[in-house]
Amino acid sequence: MMSPLATEELGKRFRRGWALRECTLTVPEQAIVGLAGPNGAGKSTLLELAVGMLAATEGSLSVLGRDPRRDPAALADVGYVPQGAPLYRSFSVAETLELARRTNARWDRELAHELLASLDSSRRVSALSAGERARLSLALAFGKRPALLLLDEPFAQLDPLAGRDFLRLLMDGVSETGSTVVIASHVVADIERVCDHIVLLSEGRVRLEGNVEELLASHLLLTGARRPLGTIRGVEEIVRERHSGRQSTLLVRTRGGVVDPTWSVDGIELEELLLAYMAPERLPRPVAPEPGRLRWHG
Amino acid sequence: MAWVTWRQHRLQAYAGAALLAALAVAALVTELPIRAAYHSDPLSACLPPSTRTGCDLIVAHFRGEFTARLDALRYLIVLPALVGLLVGAPLVAREYERGTHRLAWSQGVTRGRWLLTKTALLTAATALAGLALAGLATWWRQPFDNLDGRISPRAFDVEGIVVPAYAVAALAFGVLAGVALRRTLPAMSLAVGLFFAARLGVEKLLRPHYLAPAHRTVAGIGPTAPTRDWVLSNSLVDAAGRTISTAREDAAIVHAQHAGIDPQSYLATLGWHRAVTFQPAGRFWTFQAIEAGIFLVLAAAAVLLALRLVRRAPA
Amino acid sequence: MIEFHLDGRSGVATYVQIVQQVKEALRLGVLDVGDQLPTVREVVADLAINPNTVAKAYRELEREGLVVARQGRGTFIAGTLGTPSLEHHDALRRELERWLDEAERAGLDEESIRALISSTLREAYRRVA
Repeated sequence: MMSPLATEELGKRFRRGWALRECTLTVPEQAIVGLAGPNGAGKSTLLELAVGMLAATEGSLSVLGRDPRRDPAALADVGYVPQGAPLYRSFSVAETLELARRTNARWDRELAHELLASLDSSRRVSALSAGERARLSLALAFGKRPALLLLDEPFAQLDPLAGRDFLRLLMDGVSETGSTVVIASHVVADIERVCDHIVLLSEGRVRLEGNVEELLASHLLLTGARRPLGTIRGVEEIVRERHSGRQSTLLVRTRGGVVDPTWSVDGIELEELLLAYMAPERLPRPVAPEPGRLRWHG
Repeated sequence: MAWVTWRQHRLQAYAGAALLAALAVAALVTELPIRAAYHSDPLSACLPPSTRTGCDLIVAHFRGEFTARLDALRYLIVLPALVGLLVGAPLVAREYERGTHRLAWSQGVTRGRWLLTKTALLTAATALAGLALAGLATWWRQPFDNLDGRISPRAFDVEGIVVPAYAVAALAFGVLAGVALRRTLPAMSLAVGLFFAARLGVEKLLRPHYLAPAHRTVAGIGPTAPTRDWVLSNSLVDAAGRTISTAREDAAIVHAQHAGIDPQSYLATLGWHRAVTFQPAGRFWTFQAIEAGIFLVLAAAAVLLALRLVRRAPA
Repeated sequence: MIEFHLDGRSGVATYVQIVQQVKEALRLGVLDVGDQLPTVREVVADLAINPNTVAKAYRELEREGLVVARQGRGTFIAGTLGTPSLEHHDALRRELERWLDEAERAGLDEESIRALISSTLREAYRRVA
């Protein structure tokens, strides 16, 4: 099967510098991909390249097997919820849906209405709450029954409750359309509940990509007495090492577990794993892992 | 897309229609006294090329009475610019400003088609409004056109098919400015600047030369008989055709007066006469077609450029 | 009908939690043969989780013979779970007690024993999952 979104050495340079560089990735079909990374990491750039809003400076990009710049027809199968979920403020909900119906060859009116169930269609967009606007944007995107759905920071303007509602609606839609989804978010907690594939961007580069379960299974936290680090059986790579007093904490990549009784072995949570990969080369400051929502600022 | 265009621009359409209606009422109210005066004064007997004595007085009186209204009509030349300002410039710039271009251009319609369809529909509406405006102005100016003809700028600029062409060009300039600058206010300024630069440039530099002007010589220094032509120049020349400066002309007249000769006949004996360069009234529609063509070509070029920019533009 | 809930901090994979909850409901008699499980879409809209996860859990249950998917109608309970026998429990408990004595003799206090057990458990179930 063809990948809904694949890039090869993709790069985009703006006047102020490279926003995305040497980006190679393949999104598996029907995956729900978390596109993580701090602000300014290149997430929006990648999505805008994918919807043809931007043209690549180098490398190549394939959306549902086509180049979105050369073959804009590919966009008929791509749903896109841009950052801030822009809508025409003077339109009513019904008119917004009408706009989508009239500008898309394929339009599933029932699905769109179903997803908007409780929203009064005569209300003006300007009178809607941020959560309602987000829902309307999502319903517009799903109405196309897109093979690929791209969401750019959909949670940025939503409070936690509205965020959860949005996620529910998103998953509801996905179970109906079977779309492959890419959700860009700088808040891992917002997406870790749903994504089964992760792409971590930082400073315009892909730092980590893969299936979430596999990534979590292949990474372990080792805690033990501080000592010179030789090879540890089962460890393929030390992603990050931290030393404090007489204790060392290592984040390691492994295949099949670590067999060494001198280390206490723990699993790692997605958010911490991503933090570690964002800056593997420097020692991160001691992080007080505030459970739940930890925001990154790039 | 037609529905989308209508939904997004219906307020402008209503406002445009209301403006036209208001202008029609104003035209009717201000025109009635003009027509009454035209018919009560024996003006129809004084129309060019008539040179009946007393006509200059009648005509001057008629003109004097309605100067203010006639001058007010000149302001119609800014109306086409308004289309560029209020419809053209915001067309894309406002989408960029509000981020809605990401919504509009991620639907099933490509941004090229989006821009082209919208511009085409708005162009049609603009052209219709322009024609209505020109019709109104033509009807209003009819008594004056009978006197002065229609090819001079005062009439030419507000009548015929150039009016819709101006408006369409203003719209296109606005669209282009909006695409290029992505901000409504700067785009409005640029659109108006482009429009008036084109209008003035064409009117002053090109229009007098659409066709080679005609020449006519008039004996003597007296006032030339009224015509419906567009007089480009009217100067005193000697027998060899060289222009005579006002200083020399004054000197000659003073000389004749000192000598006790009638200056008119003195100048005639010198072989001096008036050379008038003009565009004949009969070329009105030819000139209209040429000028409308120029503005339509400019409009098309602006739209094509806008299309190129919008297709290439990063969002 | 069963309603699922999620413990996001448990560290147990979401699909495993669903499988466990179905099994628990079977043991407790909340679910019986012929009962219908919520559709993938219902679960997803309720819990805001990835539909693939629900599908995976249902596939797992199907593989274990506990449910059958009927095309176009939904997923139904098809099997039961025997109650694990208590005599097994007794034997295992005695063995565990012997092990605890041994650990204490080796000088481990309660906390280090707990640490050892929990890390071993984690390791063991990671491998299984």
